[in-house]
Amino acid sequence: MIDEATLAQMNGQYVMPPDASPAWRAACEYGFDMSLVEESLKRTPEERLDAHQRVLDMLFELKEMGGHDAAK
Amino acid sequence: MTPQNDKALLRRLLAQNVEFVVIGGVCGILHGAELVTFDLDICCRFSRENLRRIETAVKDLNPHHRLTANKLPLELTDELCDRLKNIYLTTDLGILDCLGEVSGLGDYEQVLRRSITQQMSYGKLQILSLDALIVAKEAAGREKDLYATRLLRAIKPQN
Repeated sequence: MIDEATLAQMNGQYVMPPDASPAWRAACEYGFDMSLVEESLKRTPEERLDAHQRVLDMLFELKEMGGHDAAK
Repeated sequence: MTPQNDKALLRRLLAQNVEFVVIGGVCGILHGAELVTFDLDICCRFSRENLRRIETAVKDLNPHHRLTANKLPLELTDELCDRLKNIYLTTDLGILDCLGEVSGLGDYEQVLRRSITQQMSYGKLQILSLDALIVAKEAAGREKDLYATRLLRAIKPQN
């Protein structure tokens, strides 16, 4: 039987680390997805830049696709 | 829209021994902030020699002054080098903004003093320390900078 807390996490509720700083809590309350930040902090700086590059490449592809669609 | 390839631009700058510090959004990303940015901002020494190195680094990338009305090509002269304070470029590898000063920090020497060395697989980068990046973002004061500052403060250890 899955308890309510676990179910909430399964459904996307972020669990604040017990040692979260005030700034971390503030950023979370502001609306940043701190689970993504946690993942980012596990990566090396080079991996972070590579991940960002993939996002840019995807956005560029989407933009290009949009441009082609608009031309039709 | 030109694709942005920060890594390729950085490799070119390193290959030409350009004296620069990575600032702005890419610096935040290197520190771990989950941001998306569409340009590469650097602070660099605005000496003739260093500006020539930048020109060499991007010369085959169709570089243009992106903020000029006619998108003037990057064609440096000694006289122009002495008068430029910033260079805002568009290239075939994306946007490269070269600043001589950073708000809240000062000129290249001051920025360099507040940078750290980041080892990458393709060389050593100087990037603004997290503290200095926060100072710069707060000094810039734009909405997007203040937005980023919230995240940068959160990832700063031991707040």
